Amino acid sequence: MKALRRGWKRLLGSLSSEKEDLSDEIRSHIEMQTDDNLRAGMPPEEARRQAKLKFGGLDSTKESYRDQRGLPWLETAFADFRYAARALRKSPSFTIVAVLTLAVGIGANTAIFSLVNQVLLHPPGISQPERIVVLRTKYDKLKLNFEVAAPPALDAMRNRKEVFEHAAALQGRSFNYGGQQVPERLLGGAVSAEWFDVFGARPKLGRVFTPEEDQPSANRVVVLAHAAWLRLFGGDPKVIGRSIELNQQPYQVIGVMNRDFRWPTSVDLWVPLALPPRAFTPQNWFNENLWIAARIRPGVPPTQADVFLKTLTNRVLEQAPPEAKRDISEAGWGLLTMPFRDSRAGVAKTPVLILLGAVGMVLLIACSNIAGLMLARTSVRARELAVRAALGATRVRLMRAVLAESLLLSVTGGAVGIAMAQAAAGLLLRLAPESAAAGLEPLLDGYVLWFAVAASLVSAAFFGLVPAWQLSKVDPQQRLRSGARTFAGGVRQRLRSGLVVAEAALALVLLVMTGLFLRSLARLQETNPGFEPRGVMTASFSLPTQAYADGKAQAVFIRSVLERLGRVNGVTAATVGEPIPFSNEFEGGSFQIVARTVVQGEPGPHAERRWVTPDYLKTFGIPLKEGRFFTDLDRLGTEPVAVIDERLARRYWPNENPLDKRVEPTSGEGKLRIVGVVGHVMQSDLASDEDEGVLYASILQHPMPLGSIAVKTSGDVGALAAVIRDAVRETDAGLPLFNLKSMDTMIGNSLAPRRFLLRLLGFFAAAALFLAALGLYGVISYSVAQRTREIGIRIALGAERLSVLKLVVGQGFVLAAIGVVIGIAAAALTGRFLESQLFQVSAFDPLTIFVTAGALLMAGLVASYLPARRAVRVDPAVTLRCD
Amino acid sequence: MPEKSDVWQGTLALMVLKTLHALGAMHGYGIARRIEQTSENLLSINHGTLYPVLLKLEQEGSIQSEWGVSDNNRKAKFYRITKSGKKELTAAEREWQRANDIMARFSALQGGSS
Repeated sequence: MKALRRGWKRLLGSLSSEKEDLSDEIRSHIEMQTDDNLRAGMPPEEARRQAKLKFGGLDSTKESYRDQRGLPWLETAFADFRYAARALRKSPSFTIVAVLTLAVGIGANTAIFSLVNQVLLHPPGISQPERIVVLRTKYDKLKLNFEVAAPPALDAMRNRKEVFEHAAALQGRSFNYGGQQVPERLLGGAVSAEWFDVFGARPKLGRVFTPEEDQPSANRVVVLAHAAWLRLFGGDPKVIGRSIELNQQPYQVIGVMNRDFRWPTSVDLWVPLALPPRAFTPQNWFNENLWIAARIRPGVPPTQADVFLKTLTNRVLEQAPPEAKRDISEAGWGLLTMPFRDSRAGVAKTPVLILLGAVGMVLLIACSNIAGLMLARTSVRARELAVRAALGATRVRLMRAVLAESLLLSVTGGAVGIAMAQAAAGLLLRLAPESAAAGLEPLLDGYVLWFAVAASLVSAAFFGLVPAWQLSKVDPQQRLRSGARTFAGGVRQRLRSGLVVAEAALALVLLVMTGLFLRSLARLQETNPGFEPRGVMTASFSLPTQAYADGKAQAVFIRSVLERLGRVNGVTAATVGEPIPFSNEFEGGSFQIVARTVVQGEPGPHAERRWVTPDYLKTFGIPLKEGRFFTDLDRLGTEPVAVIDERLARRYWPNENPLDKRVEPTSGEGKLRIVGVVGHVMQSDLASDEDEGVLYASILQHPMPLGSIAVKTSGDVGALAAVIRDAVRETDAGLPLFNLKSMDTMIGNSLAPRRFLLRLLGFFAAAALFLAALGLYGVISYSVAQRTREIGIRIALGAERLSVLKLVVGQGFVLAAIGVVIGIAAAALTGRFLESQLFQVSAFDPLTIFVTAGALLMAGLVASYLPARRAVRVDPAVTLRCD
Repeated sequence: MPEKSDVWQGTLALMVLKTLHALGAMHGYGIARRIEQTSENLLSINHGTLYPVLLKLEQEGSIQSEWGVSDNNRKAKFYRITKSGKKELTAAEREWQRANDIMARFSALQGGSS
């Protein structure tokens, strides 16, 4: 307390410029002593002399008083900064270049980190995400492990209050939003009562669901997401209590969530899940249809959650009904958790870390450049520094002056960078594909700001310590004596060369990285998806079950729309399928092969499922390999048939003809006779084609209330959107269409995240190449300036201009070449981290390395040619005359 | 005449506090003289060294200062002990007393067989 108080007083003392009244006090002290001495009988002269003697050293008193009064180190630091600011003002071009380079470097790093922060560390709108876990179900033997679980698991977690503070479940829903001109489809999350508590999210307006509303009879209430509230209701606060029509049912709006909470990221609204009590019965343990998350109670270690789930798994296995028991335990069924943040990051984790690494390398190169400039600068200021040293500035003091300069630069650069980062993050999100940017905000929260501050300080330490260290090795006496205006810097020049080599190496790593991603993307774009996407337009629909209650009505709708489309000029084929390729919808299912027994302990047959109309093959240009495809005769009431693709045929009928074999899906469609085999197509991702094969059925034999329309034209695809819309409106005017996209767009979208990553990497690599070339240019220019005399003499003595050119360019080329060699080694090391993101390209792809190394060397040649040209133009007469 | 002892800072601060406590407000010169007198001239201080100590005590809040006029009409800065200074003094005195007691016990030990 005492020390604190004193420190504060001293800080004030340092800051105030108040005149000290010590001198007055001392004067009066000496006068009083003199008076006493006089009184003791001394002669006046002697009295005064004795008084002064008694007082002791005047100056030392004043000095130690001054040191006590304020904080001397603070005052010298102030002086250092004032001096640094003055020095920087005196060389504005250096200052501006350095500050801008830093601002761009730190700004870009901050922007990328703000995304990393949201994707990996602190998802917006979710409090203490580290305490949230997501439930997973595994079937070890089937190598299945997914983020869903069955309703009884939710019940078990909700009841385990010692471990979980809250638990809630989610099911995706979509709604046809009526009551306006153009019907619209909204994405919703059906959630159980505690959903918002699990994420610690509060509503902006109104309230969230009560447990009573999470019941089948009382669930006609809805909470809006902020974006949907703005879009549909113009941000009207009076929306609370209003009734809206969803799927032709009235729902009451009870709340609006805050802007930052949107989980899942794509939803427009939330409704109560309202599971009936029978959903929680033990028979339902293996009906995994919920995404379940829970918040672990504060103070409970997260491992407790897994301990609980292990016990639960064992209990469920023991109590399972006898007929299911064997299957389930043989399949290796079990429950486990994963951290919510990992679930949230998903596949984005590696790409965002790659981006962070790349942008970090750019900052490193930028700092190396500034360090080089600082070195050049200290050498130009050699004389000034030597004079300061001679006047008594200690070496430490000189180093502090240099560090103060770099700190000033980095703080200014950092401040400008933070100001730019917000805009940059916004730009990033606008350029990012929708799927990657969903739920992210261009937010600079506390964590991001701390990151920016740390990045600035680390930068300052990096480019400030190099010249400071350099300074400590120089003897001021020698410098003054030599009288040189600059100090001949053998060491200095070597240090700058080293920095440039490092920059070139880093730039090469980035170039190679970009090259690898570019090659991957090119390979992907060449990949044949197994069908012909050109000229195909698609749109999805979802039929309200009130109006289309049975399969008959649904089939009538499908037929009627397809008939209308078939009559349109330019339409060569039209089909309805569920799901269609690259729509990111999946439907898998188990089936049994009639008259074949499953080997004990082996998983039964499994396939991707698709329900389509007869023109599906023609629309997508998928080849028929054997037998026939569906016809108009495969309708309700005729023999149920199926078509499989080559992959499924190879997998389950490797040595026999699958035609006329019968399969029975466990979903209860009866026994289907296989009538044809078609070519395999990719499902959703050109990079991975690992599905088990497809089992097609006729959607007209098994109608369903949802699907996607696909239309093929030989003409303009763009015109087809209106064609589909018209055909649907003529059939049912109130039915909204969604996902109106051409097949090319859908395939393009599947590559969008890669393209985005590549674009950013390309930008960073270009920046790195430019900065490295700039660094090389700086070093060579400096060396040419130093060697002007030498070059002049060479030319005077008859050296060919060309050989001078070679000399200078060669110097730059060697530096770039050393950088390339180190860079190749570094790229080989970093390649390991990229492998999972590459497609049909080795992380050590010779062509990529060859091309990028060539590009870097070319840049090196250009960067050293420019100063070399100056060297060649040296007029020996002029250079020899001066000095 | 016995040799005069030097005074180190911490002790000087304690003496200043004690002096101000016993005699009320005083100026720097008075404090210096008083310390010399109290120690019966065994202690000799460079009066200059007193001022940094006074500053430190004032910054710590143990004393307060005010300009005033001395007995023989000279302008001088007068120092006065504060409440927290008194507390400080009591604590320091107790500390000194304990150290003294301990030292006294050691001094009282009789030489053995030497």
